[in-house]
Amino acid sequence: MNKEAAIEKAKKVKFVILDIHGVITDSILYYTDDGKKSECFSLRDRLGCKALIEGGIGLAFLTSKITRTDEQVGKIYGIPAEKLWGTSAKMGRLDEFEKESGLKDEDICYVGDEMIDLGIMKRVGFSVAPYDGAIEAKEVAAYITKASGGKGVVREAAEFILRAQGKWDAVIDKISK
Amino acid sequence: MEEPMAFEKNFEIAKEKAKKVKLFAHDVHGVLTPDTFLCDIEGKRKYSFWHMDGFGDLSLTANGIQVAFLDTTSIDEEGVVRARELKLEKFYYKVTDKVTKLEELKKELGIGSENIGYIGCEVTDIAVMKKVGFAVATADAIDEVKEIADYITTAPGGRGPIREVCEFILRAMGKWGEWVEKVTKMGYK
Repeated sequence: MNKEAAIEKAKKVKFVILDIHGVITDSILYYTDDGKKSECFSLRDRLGCKALIEGGIGLAFLTSKITRTDEQVGKIYGIPAEKLWGTSAKMGRLDEFEKESGLKDEDICYVGDEMIDLGIMKRVGFSVAPYDGAIEAKEVAAYITKASGGKGVVREAAEFILRAQGKWDAVIDKISK
Repeated sequence: MEEPMAFEKNFEIAKEKAKKVKLFAHDVHGVLTPDTFLCDIEGKRKYSFWHMDGFGDLSLTANGIQVAFLDTTSIDEEGVVRARELKLEKFYYKVTDKVTKLEELKKELGIGSENIGYIGCEVTDIAVMKKVGFAVATADAIDEVKEIADYITTAPGGRGPIREVCEFILRAMGKWGEWVEKVTKMGYK
């Protein structure tokens, strides 16, 4: 991992797309016998999302299917409902978004952990993988977090991006108050 | 990967500072709970707390040290429920500015900054930690928080840091032995 190159890439980021399972969750599914499924999320990631939004960077979830859990977590993290994208055709969704928003590949950061994320990770300007992501994902990532999935990956990526852009201290100052 | 940073803290200085604590304040998330929460398909959230952390807080209040929850980030009512369970007098929910709130508490209780203890874990705790007499960081706190702390617990958030630091404070004051003896004979609730 080349830190200097990662910083240069992070400087250009205007929009962050987050995979859900294995990135903002720890990949574990918790079941109870009434069929209710729970997933485990990180409060640090909430701070990370808040910081990105405060720093003027947009956010979206991109996963094969948006569940009610994801909707609730999206709400907590401050992600607008229209930015919760549920499709397994991830590349197609990215094309569509770039057309809508006028953003280019190099303006986008994608955080992913699995084989299905590889295509998009190779394409975007700044790709991030969690510490416990698939080896293939870590190979193509410009930055690998010290945190594992569901344990503050977004918090760490957000700090890296905002520090690269020189916004971190001001953003945290604002959030603390 | 970079090497994790090691922080050396002076135990004796921490003890001297802990002796003066009259008000011990903490946040809920990342300290009383781990960094994580569970969310089910209906959007209901679950937070875990450490049983003996409650004993820690109760040990302080029983020994004349006030405990305050200063909560900024609650999504649900979990902090309120826990504070009620512990019968805490000082509970402040959805505080936006912790520094100002502690200034108010200082006036209300007639105490100085040196009489305040605070345990934190995130960058949002730094401003307040710099203003108190005895600043504590959890084992899994962010490096910048550990750096300015007088004491770092061996327990991470939600796994007993309050129990640990409360024992540290009461031992520094020389009250721990007597308290444990009392508790084992008479209970603590």
